Amino acid sequence: MQQETLQGTDDDTRETPADVPPARPGRDTPYANYALGAAYDEMFVRDGTVRAHYAGLDTRLKTLAPEELTRRQQACEQSFLYQGITFTVYTDAQATERIIPTDLLPRIVTAAEWERVEAGLKQRITALNLFLRDIYSDGLVLKDGVVPRGMILGSKHYRREMRGVQVPHGAYVNVCGTDLVRREDGAFVVLEDNLRVPSGVSYMLANRDVVRRAFPNVFRSARVKSIEHYPQELLTTLKSLAPFHEDVSIAVLTPGVFNSAFFEHAFLARQMGVELVEGRDLLVNDNVVYARTTSGLKRIDVIYRRVDDDFVDPLIFREDSSLGVPGLFNAYRAGNVVIANALGTGVADDKAVYAYVPKLIRYYLSEEPILENVETYLCREEKSLSHVLANLDKLVVKAVGESGGYGMLVGPHASQKERDAFAQKLKADPENYIAQPTIQLSTAPTFVDGGVEARHVDLRPFILTAEETRIVPGGLTRVALKKGSLVVNSSQGGGSKDTWVLSQ
Amino acid sequence: MLSRVADSLYWMARYVERAEHTTRLLAVKLESMIEQSPEDADASWTRLLAALSGEEHLETTPDAFTFTKTLAFDRANPSSLVSSLRAARDNARQIREQLSTEVWEHLNRLYLRTQSATIDAIWVHQPALFFRDILEDLFTLGGVTYTTLRHGEGWHFLELGRAIERAQQVSRLLDIHFGVVAPGYAAPPPPPKYFDWLVLLKFCSAFEPYCKEYTAAIQPEKIAEFLLFDAEFPHSVRFSVDRIVEALGAVAPGAPPSRRVACGRLAGRLKAAVDFGQIDELTGGSIDTFLVNISRQCEQIHSAVFAAYIAYDAETVL
Repeated sequence: MQQETLQGTDDDTRETPADVPPARPGRDTPYANYALGAAYDEMFVRDGTVRAHYAGLDTRLKTLAPEELTRRQQACEQSFLYQGITFTVYTDAQATERIIPTDLLPRIVTAAEWERVEAGLKQRITALNLFLRDIYSDGLVLKDGVVPRGMILGSKHYRREMRGVQVPHGAYVNVCGTDLVRREDGAFVVLEDNLRVPSGVSYMLANRDVVRRAFPNVFRSARVKSIEHYPQELLTTLKSLAPFHEDVSIAVLTPGVFNSAFFEHAFLARQMGVELVEGRDLLVNDNVVYARTTSGLKRIDVIYRRVDDDFVDPLIFREDSSLGVPGLFNAYRAGNVVIANALGTGVADDKAVYAYVPKLIRYYLSEEPILENVETYLCREEKSLSHVLANLDKLVVKAVGESGGYGMLVGPHASQKERDAFAQKLKADPENYIAQPTIQLSTAPTFVDGGVEARHVDLRPFILTAEETRIVPGGLTRVALKKGSLVVNSSQGGGSKDTWVLSQ
Repeated sequence: MLSRVADSLYWMARYVERAEHTTRLLAVKLESMIEQSPEDADASWTRLLAALSGEEHLETTPDAFTFTKTLAFDRANPSSLVSSLRAARDNARQIREQLSTEVWEHLNRLYLRTQSATIDAIWVHQPALFFRDILEDLFTLGGVTYTTLRHGEGWHFLELGRAIERAQQVSRLLDIHFGVVAPGYAAPPPPPKYFDWLVLLKFCSAFEPYCKEYTAAIQPEKIAEFLLFDAEFPHSVRFSVDRIVEALGAVAPGAPPSRRVACGRLAGRLKAAVDFGQIDELTGGSIDTFLVNISRQCEQIHSAVFAAYIAYDAETVL
């Protein structure tokens, strides 16, 4: 149905003239309001010439009427609304469906850039999985003093219950969504490892679907690598976690329809052809997990859980959780069911542990990290603390165990009074904080008010690991739609973009 | 099939059927009121309200605008059209992965469309047309459901929900028209007239099929016979009961006989009642009792299905 609305009026099959004159950012249509700043720009070199891999899109944008772009943008939004890729906003008696905005213009990554990113992500996840296995068994990394013992064992995400649990292939993190950003020098660096229940992959696939239809010719001639096989790769990954028998029964565990990522849970279950279950569908008997079906009980072997550690099993973790399954953890310990991601992975994406990841790569793999970290000051170290206190107006300070922007000070945007108050907190509990310079995320062309403007973006590829590691070429590009904003979170005016990884 | 999924499919179909029923009644009513005197129209609106919301005692009779607003757009009224579609869509969303893209998107678009519609906006044009449009969308949804889903267990749960809902709605409609007037009215409403019997047939999409069977001679007894006992008309109670029996035979294929027995017995008893019922035995007040019984037996089947396949005690099957 929505295919017709998009395809029926598509004039993209027309021949585009090769000699379209160049349009300069900041001067010519459609880039009249395109501001090149200190940040690296994905499309334009500093002197305003178009990077080679954006040439095809550039030509198309210059020949396409702004109204046509607007129309395609609307068709894309309508398609999301109809598909139900929405979250619900409740006001009074009304429930309104909102979409997370998708920007029509793809973010393009070259084959060479991707090759490096891919190698770096594989290296990183390998080290992180080795680290998790280590801290939940022998703890050599702690004995060798590479990472402070107190930092790990004292972390609220360290799950003592996981000690000695056998995890298939030593793969604790089966699905990882690493946030990458581009520094001003153009290098991709890691901002955050999301090792618990990362989301966003359904947007990666849904964006591709609409953007490919909006720019069929540009897409075809750019030779973009396919990401369609993600659900299959995920299924293969989950299957290989359960070697018990041939006919592995897999389920996606969702907190339910009120969760903001519910669409994604249902989407993945449907695309993989596996059951989508809620905690109330499952029960444990004699350390075996069953789903309640109309015909009777059905054994479940692998659970891809999209429920946080705390809520998985009320007998072991939060007893007030109604989202989990009583007895699930013991079934897991007994080896009768596999939970992916394993429990307790959050200890390794702690913001303080993050600072140690380059060291962990050297320690476990004897390799130099391919992808660098963002420069990070651990306030637990005295030298760093005094540097941070002296430069609070330039730094972003984050509490280590928090996420989603909580317990955070953005120095350049804070008042002197706020900074002074935060300095007190820092001095009182330095171990709880890290600081990073404010990073100018790279900018990418984004469709705004009938024109094309520069907006800051990040990139979240998804890494799948069981016996081997697989990464589909692409990821979720998040974009800060507000002019000048560096915050890409959807809760704060962020949207997303399709990410094109070119095959050559 | 997961019990929760079966439950949601069942309810999704019930709510869609309820929405269709409400929509058809409103479309027919708005079209037919032009032909009626104000008093007759009021009596007929009152019957409609009683059929759709169970509200039988009205202090004052509201106008057509208010009736339509309440029955179609009142979010606080759980049986309004928008409430039914919202409940259908909420259930569908929970089992999105079980539905085809066509079914989901069609229902979702219908939901979005009715959520943004208002009584004021539709009233300035011909309001009946709005309901005819929605009805067409619902027919398309029915077709898309039939043609894009596997006719497996899930589909049989949809059929079960639809058939139980339809059997109850039609029984209720018949009860409103044939039943004795409930006590408590200061001034009892006038009994149905010729035109009301015609409208009753239209409420059930039955006018043309009835005429084919009985000619255009409108006789209340024949109408009751047709809507209760015709084996081939999709809106007759008997037809729905046959679908209930079929669906019950196909759901939960792996369940042991011990869990199937209660549903089978209840459905068989209901089938016997409509297979061997005779309209000439239902004279006087006995049609009332008969209709109430049908409705109660549908309730019992509903509860038995829930107990056998949805919320059964897991201990008993370990």
